[in-house]
Parts: sequence; C-alpha cells; structure tokens
Amino acid sequence: MYKILTIVWKELYLTFTNRTLLVIMVITPLALATIISLAFSQFFTGSGSDVPIRDIPVVIVNLDQGSESINYGQIFIDALVPPENATEADIADNPLFTLTNAVVFTSVEDARAAVESGEYAAAILIPADFSERIAISEDKPAIEATSVEVYASSALAIGKLVIRGIAEQLTNSIASGAITASATVEALFGQIAADALASATSGNAVAIPDGEAISAAIGDAATFASDSRNNPLQVQAESITGEAVTLNPLVLFGSSLTIFFMMFTATGSAASMLEEKRDGTLDRILVSPTPRSTILLGKMIGVFVICVFQLVMLIVALTLVGSLVSGELQFIFGTQWGLIALAVLATSMGTAGLGVISMSLVRTPEQANIVGGIISLAMGLFGGAFFAVDAIPLLQPISRLTVVWWGSDLFRKLSLGQTDILLNLAVLLGLGGVMFAIGTAIFSRRLAT
Amino acid sequence: MQSAMVEVQTLSKEFTRGKGERIKAVNAVSLTIPKGTIYSLLGPNGAGKTTTISMISGLISPTSGDAIIGGHSITKEPLQAKRLLGVVPQEIALYPQLSARQNLEFFGKMYDLRGDVLRKRVDEALEFIDLTDRQKDKIETFSGGMKRRVNIGVGILHQPQLLYMDEPTVGIDPQNRRRILDTVMKMRDELGMTVLYTSHLMEEVQEISDQVAIIDHGELIAQGSVSDLIQQMGEEDRLILRVSTQQVSDAVLNAIRTGIDGITSASFETRMREDKSGQEGVIVIAALRGRRALPHLIAVANEHNLEIMSVEVREPDLEAVFLRLTGRALRD
Repeated sequence: MYKILTIVWKELYLTFTNRTLLVIMVITPLALATIISLAFSQFFTGSGSDVPIRDIPVVIVNLDQGSESINYGQIFIDALVPPENATEADIADNPLFTLTNAVVFTSVEDARAAVESGEYAAAILIPADFSERIAISEDKPAIEATSVEVYASSALAIGKLVIRGIAEQLTNSIASGAITASATVEALFGQIAADALASATSGNAVAIPDGEAISAAIGDAATFASDSRNNPLQVQAESITGEAVTLNPLVLFGSSLTIFFMMFTATGSAASMLEEKRDGTLDRILVSPTPRSTILLGKMIGVFVICVFQLVMLIVALTLVGSLVSGELQFIFGTQWGLIALAVLATSMGTAGLGVISMSLVRTPEQANIVGGIISLAMGLFGGAFFAVDAIPLLQPISRLTVVWWGSDLFRKLSLGQTDILLNLAVLLGLGGVMFAIGTAIFSRRLAT
Repeated sequence: MQSAMVEVQTLSKEFTRGKGERIKAVNAVSLTIPKGTIYSLLGPNGAGKTTTISMISGLISPTSGDAIIGGHSITKEPLQAKRLLGVVPQEIALYPQLSARQNLEFFGKMYDLRGDVLRKRVDEALEFIDLTDRQKDKIETFSGGMKRRVNIGVGILHQPQLLYMDEPTVGIDPQNRRRILDTVMKMRDELGMTVLYTSHLMEEVQEISDQVAIIDHGELIAQGSVSDLIQQMGEEDRLILRVSTQQVSDAVLNAIRTGIDGITSASFETRMREDKSGQEGVIVIAALRGRRALPHLIAVANEHNLEIMSVEVREPDLEAVFLRLTGRALRD
C-alpha cells in the first residue's frame, strides 16, 4: 500500500507542478466554459439565486380561421406580442413580453426556415381549424382533437423548453376556458395536461384529445373564455420560467467541457506509462523489489485521482466564476454534496477507464498523443461538449455511448436539484470499471513480455 | 576461490516475430560472476547482451534457464533477488521535474527504504556522488555529468550487493568519465560491491574489469580475465624497429625470422616520419613473446651493423581479441 501511495503521489506531483498541463487541465476549460456561457446566453444581467432568461426569439404563425365567435389562435399572439401602443412599462410588467421576443409570420415555411437558420429559438404553428375544433356550440357540443406545433431550434435547448412550456400552458388554458369548470371537466384537465406534457416530451405537438366524453358538462364556454378576468395568459407565466431558468449555463457548458478536457488528462496520464517505458524510469521501478501489480495499480489509481482533482478544481472554479458574475455566492452545481461527490467519483472513473483502455492499445507515446486526441475529440463532439446533441435525433443514440454525455447529464440533473442519477452513476462506474480493468490487464501483459 | 554473486544457468530467450517466426535472442548462456569483482559483458549490437541482462535483472522472463543472484532465483524469488540488485541504466532514468533528493527518495521507497534509514541513505548517496549542495535542484537543471552521477546514486542507494551499470560513461566529457570509472572501482574496493558492467569503450573495460565475457549471436563465446583472453586467443605482440637506413637486406630479415625464437614474421617498409621531416625505415616483427625477443633482436642488429633508432612493443588488446572472436569491432 505504501508503494502504491508513493507512486500515486509521484503522479500527482508531476502533474500538478507542470504549469503547461495545469493550463490545459483547468484554465482552458474554465475560460472556454465562461466565455461560451457569456456569449451564448444572456443570463448574467440580474442577481439573486435565479438567473433570468429573457427575449427568447420566437415566431408565431396563426393560420387559425376562427370560429363564429372567436379566434383562439389570436390568443397566442396577444399573449406573446406586445400591442403596437404598448409602453416600455407595459412590456416590462408583462412577464411573457420580457421572456420572449415574439414576431408574427404568415407562412409556415418561412417560420420553419427562420428557426432552422438559428434566427429564432422556436416557432408556434397554429392550424387553420384550431378554433373550429375547440369551439363549442349547440350544434357542436364537443371539442375535437387538434394540435399546436412547436417547431424548435436544436441550438437553443433552454429557449425551446420555455416556448414549449408556454405553448402547453396556453393550450391548456384555452381548453380550460372553453370548457366549463365543472368537477368532471376539471378532472379531465389533468388528463389533458398530462397528455400534452407527454406529447411535448416525445415530439413537438401539443395534443388536445377528443372531448366527446365531456360534452354533457359543457356550458357557456365562449363567454367564459372572453372574460378578461379568466385570461389564461396571466395565470401561470411565472411558473413557466421556474424550472428551466435555474439551470446555469456554466453548468451546461462547464460540465461537458470539463469532462471533455478530462478525457485529455486521462489519456495523457495513462500515456505516461508509455513515456516512462521509453525514458527508462518504468524499467527502473520494475527491476526494484516492487510487484508489477503494485506498479500498475499505483499508476492507474494515479490516473483516476488526477481526474478527480481536475474535476473538483473545475467545479470549485466554475462555482466561483458563477458567483463572481452574479455578485453573490451561487452553488451552481447544487447543494446535494453527497451526490455531487458520487458524481465526481463516477465521472472520474468513466474518463479514467476510457483513458487507460485507449492507451493500453497503443505502443508509443507518439501514437498515444494521436489516438488520445482523436478519442477525446470524438467523445467531446458526440457527447455534447460543443453543441446540444440531444436536439439532433440522429446523434442522440451515439451521444449515449460517450462518457461526456453521461457525465454532463449527471451534473445537469444535480444542478436542477434532481436526484434520479442512478442510471448515470451506474453507466459511468460500470463502464469505467470494466474499461479500467481491461486496460490494466493489457498493460500488465505487455510489461511481462 | 571467490564465491559467486551471480550464477547464470543455461539462460535462453525466444521472441516471436510478426509472422509467428521464433527468434532465439539468447541461447543457453551460462556464466558465473564472482563476488566483489567488476565483470564486463561485451558484445556487438544485437548480440543478445541486453536481453541477457534484462533476464538477470528480472525485467523479462527467460524462456528457459535461470539466474541465481546471491542465492535467490530471479524466476522463483524475484523480489528477494531484486533486493540485492542495483541498476544504473544507460539512459538517464530519472524524473526531470523532481529534484535530486526527490528522485533518490522515490526510488529508495521502491526498495523498501523508509523514514530515518531512507534519509540517511539518501544523504550518503548524495555525498558519494558529490551532489549534496545541489540536492534540492531539479534534475532538468543539471549538466549531463551531474545527471549521470544521480543516475548512479539511485542505483547504489539501497547498497546492493550486485550493481549493473549499462554504459555509464556514454556521452560525457573525459573528466566526468574518469570520475565515474574511479567511482566504479571505489564501489568494488571500498563497498565490496560486485559490478556487472557493459561499455562500447574497450579501453575502459580493459582498465577496470576483473573478468570479461563476450557474447555474440546470443551465445557466450569467451569468458575470463583480460590477460587470459588475450593469451587464450594466441594473439601476437608487434615489434616496431625504427632504423637509420632506408634499405635493409633480405639477409638481415632472414636472420631475424629464423635466428630468434617466437618470431613468426619480419618485414621492412619505409614510411613518413611522424613529424613529417622525411622518410624512415621500419622493421615490423610479429612475435609471440615480443619482450623476450628484444635482446636477441638487438644482437642480430649489431651483427649486421644496423643502427636502431627506437623500439616499440605493441601488445595485443581486448579490441583485437573481440575483433578476432566476433569479426566485428565493438562499436559496429
């Protein structure tokens, strides 16, 4: 054990007294994460524990022809686009006006193109028969199924979430306004919301089911909906921003970039085995009365511990940067310290394991540099270190094969206060452990010949 | 008779090449290294020298055979055997970012040294290599000679009974080389260490070695003291007689060839003087015992009124033995 610790200490000392390495390991990801977070978000404008999101660019296309009495599609426009005569104070007072920067388009194709170009975070597309299907009359006592489409940008994940949330709330509110508030109907509203939520998480359509079952309970819905006191747009505007805005972009970019740079550290540390072989220091240890297993264990634990140190340093540094920018102490990765510690260990195990196995397959430090770079870049690219891979359906399954995705998803969840991280932990620890063991075995076999 | 520090018993090593071809790098090498001696292992590049030493030091496993170090088998009791062994590799196998003291401490711990014992041994090693005043400086700031000395310091830190030194004087200036050679002899003479030594510099091997072994094509082809090897090979001395005349008759040369015991050949040639001042006559004689032939040679010269300006006796050296045995110079 003493010899293992001696080897681990030596690895740590050599790593953390190397200024160039420290720049690559800590300063670079920290600087990149800070710059990207500042550049791609407009978060750091206020203070307090919640970082406000504002001016999400959204386009509305209202094709709704209206029913005899009302155009429900217009409600989306009225809710999100300030009237021409609105003063700055009016806009500031309305949370939906400040949250979004909405414009109206007339063409669905133009709206989609605008989203695809990245100009807008999302488009809310209201079908032509929206009001007709929702409206209730003596001749048509039941709501018919219809949907509002939210066409979202892949780049602005948070903006997409917020717009989808707004669309869901508006749709639900319209439905609730169109249906009388009887006990039976209220029970059904829950179902509508749940269906809408499920629909939103699986696709972009917010569905309203056939309301034939509740037709008996319908009363004077049109009157209810037109009453400004029942304006659904005011009801849950605050809660729409609630969960999404607590995710600090430093966590979003910081965690993925940190794990991306940890990959370089892990492959680099594992490659030091090859460098020591080349320089003769490994042979010098091998001819000492030190079992080969002790040497390998010391080196491999060294790789793992270096990853842990790097991750801890970056979590602390990112927290400090987040606090400095916001002007007060902010625990951007959350305060579930036990789970954070577990996440650090699991993520370090995952990256260290990948580093060890990839380096065990190469022969020289030169090969290690090339292979390590390629593996790290691939992990970063497909793991979401540079863009939101989850927004690209094709890349989603590939991203699940990367340590970067599982690790950054883990820290994202912790930052949001979520505790359902068992799968992330299991994947990172399991995958890391297996790769670690295989890599160590390969190294051991090579040293014996 | 001195007891053996190392007994190598029919040590063999085979490697498999890319297409499954088996290569015998070392073939049944057996040798004995007596305690307290400097034993040099010579061989051209690719002869199997490094493979043999790697097996003796436990770096690679032999295909067959064994090496016994101080009574411990390197294959069956590797940790005990390794405890008796110190290694000074040819390359500077140190951590450049660590100080001299940190390097010594790290490798000392690998040899199970702890606490006060470790501190004392590190101090002693630093004193021995004369680097106490630079102990806290990083290796990367040292000169080549100083690095070599730390390299040696790490090898002797745990006071091994057997020290393997692989070309310890490569790439350093004559002053530091002298210092290292003196150190090697000091370790034998004062510490009673056994030194297994390799070098491409025949003159230093000849100077310091008590025993020499020559290995080629994976096999041990000669073993013994330097003088024994030269004698065993039957190498002849060469006598160079510089004479005043530029012509010597065949009668004189015949008298030398036939009239003196041990002389096998005699020839005359003219060559430019070393100071380039003109030509000189030189009689080149091959003799089995050159020095014994000298008085007779002078008598023959007097008989024939031949004025001898100078006589030089060139004895055969290890280089000549090596060349004759392997067909290659050691540096090839």
